[in-house]
Amino acid sequence: MTLKGYYGRMLDINLTTGEIKKTQIPEEDIKRFIGGRGLGTKILWDKLPHAGVDPLSPENPILFMPGPFSGLPIPSSSRTCVVTKSPRTSAIDQKFDNGSTVSYSNMGGFFGPEIRFAGYDGICVTGKASNPVYIKIVDDKVEICDATKFWGMGTDKFDNALIDELGDPKFESCYIGPAGENLVPMACVLNTAARAAGRGGTGCVMGSKNLKAIAVKGTQMPQLGNHKMYLDLLEKARKSFKDDNNEGLKFWRYGGTANALTSSSQRGTQAVKNYGEGSFGEIEKIGAAANREQVWKRDFACFSCHLACKKSGIAKGSYSVMVHDGPEYETGTMMGANLLISDLAGLQKLIAVADDYGIDIISAGNAIGFLMEAYEKKLITKEYLDGIDLTWGNVDASLELLHKMCYREKIGDLACQGVKALAKDIQQDSEKFAIHVKGHELAAWNVPVNSDYWSICYATSNRGACHMNGGSPDRQDMAALRDSIAACSFAAGWYKNEISFAKFLSAITGMEWTDEEFNKAGERIFNLEKMFNYREGFRREDDSIPPKFFENKFTFGDFKGSIVNKKEFEKNLTEYYKLRGWDSETSKPGDDLLKELDLAFTIQ
Amino acid sequence: MENNSNYSRRHFLKDLALGGSGLIILGTVGYKIFKSSDGKTIKAISVDFEKCTGCKTCETACSAYNHREIINGEELMGLGNPHLSNIKVFHYNPDVDVPSTCAICPDAPCIEACVISPDLITGRKALYRDPDTQIIKNDIERCIGCMQCAKACADLRGGVIIPNPETHKPERICQLCDGDPQCVKHCPFGALAYIEVAADRDLTNLAPAKIAEKLIEQWYNFNA
Repeated sequence: MTLKGYYGRMLDINLTTGEIKKTQIPEEDIKRFIGGRGLGTKILWDKLPHAGVDPLSPENPILFMPGPFSGLPIPSSSRTCVVTKSPRTSAIDQKFDNGSTVSYSNMGGFFGPEIRFAGYDGICVTGKASNPVYIKIVDDKVEICDATKFWGMGTDKFDNALIDELGDPKFESCYIGPAGENLVPMACVLNTAARAAGRGGTGCVMGSKNLKAIAVKGTQMPQLGNHKMYLDLLEKARKSFKDDNNEGLKFWRYGGTANALTSSSQRGTQAVKNYGEGSFGEIEKIGAAANREQVWKRDFACFSCHLACKKSGIAKGSYSVMVHDGPEYETGTMMGANLLISDLAGLQKLIAVADDYGIDIISAGNAIGFLMEAYEKKLITKEYLDGIDLTWGNVDASLELLHKMCYREKIGDLACQGVKALAKDIQQDSEKFAIHVKGHELAAWNVPVNSDYWSICYATSNRGACHMNGGSPDRQDMAALRDSIAACSFAAGWYKNEISFAKFLSAITGMEWTDEEFNKAGERIFNLEKMFNYREGFRREDDSIPPKFFENKFTFGDFKGSIVNKKEFEKNLTEYYKLRGWDSETSKPGDDLLKELDLAFTIQ
Repeated sequence: MENNSNYSRRHFLKDLALGGSGLIILGTVGYKIFKSSDGKTIKAISVDFEKCTGCKTCETACSAYNHREIINGEELMGLGNPHLSNIKVFHYNPDVDVPSTCAICPDAPCIEACVISPDLITGRKALYRDPDTQIIKNDIERCIGCMQCAKACADLRGGVIIPNPETHKPERICQLCDGDPQCVKHCPFGALAYIEVAADRDLTNLAPAKIAEKLIEQWYNFNA
């Protein structure tokens, strides 16, 4: 490997055959796709040479991808991207039974850095074990171990049980809960019992392989291309976190993303009552200040992070529960405001239970909200809900439904497949308020206020509706880059000018990365994902937002009357395609563009 | 960061008794270069567990300073491989992080346990206290790698000493980075401090698991 900053090596595990290989990553691929989400998507493309592979089949790989920043103490760059073919998405006009998008989901914590310490640039798991297993990695030594006794265990208990079994607290691990084991499509992957690669059904794919967990511990670091330049950049970066942005640091340390619970509500951008409103009158009861006062005891950071946005404590009151993390903006909105739940202990209970089961709280909260609306509108009965009186704000009913979803019992079996499947079953025009794009539910940022940004952000994201996608090509490419180098978006504001991500990447690799080349790599990664989706049959009509946004006006708050103009949206989408260099009718990236981006291999 | 330099024995005992934010457990160092001006207290690395967020920046800073690399003939800081760090952060669930490092104990059970006979001239075992700095050092020429020191540390203190995987000789004994501990310097949260503490403080409950148990009881107590 002449390229520095990497090992150039993937750990490749086939759970059907038990074969464990260390495979070389083509240097060209590292240069073009960097790592994390980008390199993961390229490997996914190579492993799935044709469309329509069942995401839950042994053939579908699941990739655990750190990036070139992972393991280095560059502040806030410890993310791990889980990449696979999505079990969540489907096109409107399905060209294949199993046509689905790429799925990438990102988590903080310590898992990604530890993969790198063990000497790998990523882990790729294919196949299906005949019984529950976990993978144990200590540098070069890799074992597939029996996990039968852990099967069925919630993530909170398992987090400790696994360390007990391994006998060494220095292992870092990621794992699924009962939801993933039960093949709940919206199941997620967690580490440290709270940090989740929440979106896109990654836990379901892991479950389909009978893979409970991966535990890893390592002793290595790769050589850098320009060690001295890296040290210089690191010193500057550390200084900028210490000196220049104290207000920013205070903000993150005080409330993490939960700071946005109240501010978003004030700005009318919150998902409230199944996205029917943008503001929640009782938001103060579950906001950051309330949590500081009543729940949070300690702040926790990911590897080498200065922000510490994860909050832990205990909730007491109507429910008693250990709080590992929450609410964040997303979890607090989706299980709180979106369901009109303002009982703080009740909200904490819902979040803790969902994390313990290992289910995507964004999608789960969205599905519960959808059913609440259908029930209020009397499109469904209490019998349809298996006896649950699913009224707005009802914590017990939400808990019961959540449980049924994770164990796939009766109504839960349908609800856990998401709002698209629910609307198909309920019919009666309920599709109009089924808040998803491509089958993947929207997150906690509501669309009508700032609709130019949010409608494009959700409509064009490659994993189905995604709030981290960005509402313009530039932002999207930058998000793809952050997910590829393993940097955290919350700290991205610090990395500019003389300590830009491109400069760090140059120092790490020893290759000169200009801003232009760096941005182009982001565009390349985004277009590769797009081509994956295009091959799977996704077209312009799939890049839309739910009809509710064109028909429903907010009735409450400062932004009363807000609605999305459909013509305006279609115009913006055409404009977006033009900026992207994509065909405005089919949404296909042009051949010239693909060639220019070194993606000629995607042209068929 | 608050100024802890006048941290007295009375404060320390009070904090221990209350289990409050001043729960400071680790460290003590020698009187020569690290002694306070009045000679009554000594300086040490201490941990404020309520401020620690578990980010492990201390591990990377320790490792970078103590494991340099020669790049193009120039000695530079290392990359900060946490595996090589003397200070270790242990995660626990419920959420507690415990940084653990050599306490440079005044009574040093590790030296006590060293099986090598004292040198006739210097009076030193393989493991000895440096007379100038009071730091505990190991003479690898004389050390036979029996790891009795590690056993003593594990049984009686924090269990920080471990064998080097290749030489099988003890590692992780804090050398205080030439008087400027890097873990303290780089902690983003001010959780580590290099301050004066009472010389006769309790050093018997340094095991990370024990500390975690105590903190979990304090922080996540539903009956409190």
